Amino acid sequence: MIGIFQEYWHAFLWSDGYRLSGVAMTLWLLAASIAFGFCLAVPMSVARVSEKLYIRGPVWFYTYVFRGTPLYIQLLICYTGIYSLQVVRDNVLLDAFFREGINCTILAFALNTCAYTTEIFAGAIRSIPYGEIEAARAYGMSEWRLYRHIIIPSALRRALPYYSNEVILMLHSTTIAFTATVPDILKVARDVNSATYASFSAFGIAAILYACIAFALVWGFRRCELRWLAFLKPMGH
Amino acid sequence: MYKLSVDDLHKKYGNHEVLKGVSLKAKAGDVISIIGSSGSGKSTFLRCINFLEQPCSGRITVNADEIRTEKDKTGALRVADPKQLQSMRTKLSMVFQHFNLWAHMTVLENIIEAPMHVLGISKDEAVARARKYLAKVGLPQSVEEKYPSHLSGGQQQRVAIARALAMEPEVMLFDEPTSALDPELVGEVLKVMQSLAEEGRTMVVVTHEMGFARNVSNHVMFLHQGRVEEEGHPHEVLVNPKSERLAQFLSGRLK
Repeated sequence: MIGIFQEYWHAFLWSDGYRLSGVAMTLWLLAASIAFGFCLAVPMSVARVSEKLYIRGPVWFYTYVFRGTPLYIQLLICYTGIYSLQVVRDNVLLDAFFREGINCTILAFALNTCAYTTEIFAGAIRSIPYGEIEAARAYGMSEWRLYRHIIIPSALRRALPYYSNEVILMLHSTTIAFTATVPDILKVARDVNSATYASFSAFGIAAILYACIAFALVWGFRRCELRWLAFLKPMGH
Repeated sequence: MYKLSVDDLHKKYGNHEVLKGVSLKAKAGDVISIIGSSGSGKSTFLRCINFLEQPCSGRITVNADEIRTEKDKTGALRVADPKQLQSMRTKLSMVFQHFNLWAHMTVLENIIEAPMHVLGISKDEAVARARKYLAKVGLPQSVEEKYPSHLSGGQQQRVAIARALAMEPEVMLFDEPTSALDPELVGEVLKVMQSLAEEGRTMVVVTHEMGFARNVSNHVMFLHQGRVEEEGHPHEVLVNPKSERLAQFLSGRLK
């Protein structure tokens, strides 16, 4: 395994700044989909817990569809399905966007993780004791300030343990990106496998790389929890 | 002139009328205790004053500024102008039975939050206010960086009182501030409230503490089934109750 790693380490790890490969591509897929998913999920989770059906309903439908279907199929629809539509090909912007596998992949991943993240954040919003919201109102906060200063900061903190889980699942989900010709860690491992027939080593190296990334994520989230979730922990003596 | 005046307040839950025309007038420095058995509507009355509950009818005036209201679809009153509601709420700070401190903020952040983001004062000024009022409620500066869940109930309620004081309100509303506390912690909170009363702050207190009602307040209202059954100076009302209901209530309490 060490010999194969010495031969192929650059394909797994190295990026020349022009072509991303291996770890760099996987991290980019993860970061981009998580970032888009997070930014969309914050307002959508607020909409998800709205009292008004016409606000809550569409978000419910969206999360229902994206959580109810496999990510693999969502990726296939984004990559091959949408591009087969004449409307999309006729539009210059859409044509340029959906021709690139990486765009379709990030779109599918972002929409998928956004659906799960929305439900996680919405659950966290519901878990805030009602008295805290009432206190904010009683102190003259407008609804905007109530969300900006009380509900969203509190909900994001409460959601951290569940959200870290979602991020790690998303990391593992990026392994299907090769379906859309995106060269991530697994693609490199397959190339190594077909060049050397050393399957155990080729995929073993990939597994170790994923495990390292996951470990770094777990460690990072643990630091965040220590910092931002201290308020839920019993006091240490 | 009254700091706070409430006229003929009615409140219904469905067909059940919980408040049947309750009025209250508080001058500067008044400490009004509202007593009554559970279900008498005393907490609901207090929560209607700052519109945490919507009354069905009635007029509320804070510092000669009458709150303009309109009927919503369900027939309950709501405040016509959200800006007026917010400014009115900043003048009536509330202290809750369950403290309702913001759990994800430290003690200091809890106290400076509303003065900074609602009243719009600077952070330095808000922190100075927070320290002043923390000292007033008898908490050491070392609690500033702690989270509410790391304090005892009595300390949490004193932080909540400091949070209310930091708004420098016209009237303070207390909703059973000692009911959720362990018996040995009640005293420290009552002592703080007594010192506030002695400073001449205007307070409306829903309470089960007859000692507080008798010794600290200058007016007692006894609510029974949504009506003011009897009210007056505590030394008359609590010593020589005229109504049979109050006499019964007190005999159950004082023994």
